[in-house]
Amino acid sequence: MKLKLIYSPDVVEKPILAEIILKTGVPMNILEAKVNAQKGELVVSVPASGKQLEDIIDMLEKAGVKTRIFAKILEIDMGRCTSCGACISPCPTRALMFKPDWTIEFNEERCVACRVCVNACPVRAITVP
Amino acid sequence: MSGKCEGEEIRAIEEINERIKRGDAAVLTAEEMIKLAESSGIEVAAKEVDVVTSGTFGAMCSSGVFLNFGHADPPIKMTKCWLNDVPVYKGMAAVDGYLGATALSETRGFDYGGGHVIEDLVSEKEIDLRAESYGTDCYPRVDIETTIAIDDLNQAILVNPRNCYQAYDAATNSTDRVLYTYMGTLLPNYGNVTFSGAGQLNPLCKDRNYDTIGIGTRIFLGGGIGYVIGEGTQHSPQGGFGTLMVRGDLKKMNSRYLRGASFYRYGVTLYVGVGIPIPIINERVAASAASRDENILVNIRDYGVPVRPDRRPVVKRVSYAELRSGKVLINEKDVPSSSLSSYQIATEIAEVIKKWILEGTFFLTKSVEPLPRQREFKPLLVRKRELLVLDVMKRIVFTASPSDNVEAAAKKIIEKGIDHLPIVDEESKLIGIVTSWDVAKAIAKEKRRLNEIMTRRVITAKVDESIDVVVRRMSQHNISGVPVVDETNHIVGILTTDDISRKLVGGRPK
Repeated sequence: MKLKLIYSPDVVEKPILAEIILKTGVPMNILEAKVNAQKGELVVSVPASGKQLEDIIDMLEKAGVKTRIFAKILEIDMGRCTSCGACISPCPTRALMFKPDWTIEFNEERCVACRVCVNACPVRAITVP
Repeated sequence: MSGKCEGEEIRAIEEINERIKRGDAAVLTAEEMIKLAESSGIEVAAKEVDVVTSGTFGAMCSSGVFLNFGHADPPIKMTKCWLNDVPVYKGMAAVDGYLGATALSETRGFDYGGGHVIEDLVSEKEIDLRAESYGTDCYPRVDIETTIAIDDLNQAILVNPRNCYQAYDAATNSTDRVLYTYMGTLLPNYGNVTFSGAGQLNPLCKDRNYDTIGIGTRIFLGGGIGYVIGEGTQHSPQGGFGTLMVRGDLKKMNSRYLRGASFYRYGVTLYVGVGIPIPIINERVAASAASRDENILVNIRDYGVPVRPDRRPVVKRVSYAELRSGKVLINEKDVPSSSLSSYQIATEIAEVIKKWILEGTFFLTKSVEPLPRQREFKPLLVRKRELLVLDVMKRIVFTASPSDNVEAAAKKIIEKGIDHLPIVDEESKLIGIVTSWDVAKAIAKEKRRLNEIMTRRVITAKVDESIDVVVRRMSQHNISGVPVVDETNHIVGILTTDDISRKLVGGRPK
């Protein structure tokens, strides 16, 4: 599961994420970080589900961090996609691959939202919502 | 054995067309032909199969469309013309123009260009037309602004000077930065390999001796019917790099097989679908039509070296089968490889032609003239003397050794009036560099020796490099000077942005 974490100015300096990782033992991975003096926005991959995920979201919210579940990291417009493959080898995490029929398959779990594929796609079929 | 030699005619094109008319022609796609030849042998396949269909769908930059807009009232002799802000070539009659696939929009940069206009035309979208003129007695109008759609045009004829490359060398990148090329995104340190071409589905690979494809051959082009009108530009058959020039009526094409495309930080182009039915007239053609990815070889070239395409260093020679497997071994490392052209749509095109033939709506043609089997592919010689590093560099270079202290370096920089101080070892080989900025920073941070502050990965130049190449390198690394070194890494000069601007004030050498 991928979460977007929005830090308000009064909590932006606290090591909230580190504390939750230590407490829960869930190795969350930061995929993207935009932090400045006013606010912070992180995209993290959370290898948890069910009760454990709920607890993590709860802890974050209590610490003053707004959370949003990322339903989709990438959107591939399959009507526009030509299955050319230009996005496949530049992807650093092998999240894009060919299916046996040579159409494109996207493995959301592996994606770290680096956007390399967005620029690599010649027909601009990939967008990050 | 049949006793026939492989070039002996098995069937004529006329016989094949008779069978198509009767509805009993044996038509296989290239993939099906490969399987049949594998299970039954070439001889049997040659006897049983009348036609093998091929296809390719990839970026084909040498593409474009001839347009005739018709005359407005009062009429205009268009001297400049734009479609959706993309310039149309107007060096021809009053309302004729040629829109090239790689022409860039003057307002949207790399996001939109000729290829996209062609796709929008085919998709029956409305397009903004703008044109200018100087006005004549017969064509008084000096400007015009209107909208057009494909049906408004008298003619929209796709004429592509170079399509359907038989094969194309693959690309990788040895440098430490990402390269954005016409071969797509190339990750640093041989991070990936990209390639283009349909390999075992490619029309010219399916008739590699050009026994059947020539001027007049009827083909699938962009979803409609097209014709081969001759060899393509850069046709280079000896190395297995044949190309085709093709034409077809854009009004009958389909945007599934004609797509505007943008290559990030490179430019725009058009993805074109081309497919050709190969009549199996003899065993030699059958063998060619049954050829496989395993036997179609290309080089992987290093795009990190900015030289002309055929001089880019060859990293490895591989087959399309290896490239398509998804990984290629380079320097004992599995490097991910992927295509830029669509194998899936290439397959689909081969299926579509097969269907057309089986339905009796597509007949084969005998070419009027074969494609040339010999052609020299010459480079462009630069006969005007260009500015090289050795014309601009300073030959007297002040250096320091890594054990020198910062104060001595500061003194040298002031006394000699320089900004760059290369650091050399006991054998006078370049091992680092410090700039006046580094020295100032060292003093502020109380560092003592140059080896504590020097940059060890020095960006350098060679004497025979073009100034343009070195200027681009300096701006990429955001530096203002480079030591010039020989093959043994000894310093032979130094080149700074000051030297270059001083030299260029007087203009370039004649």
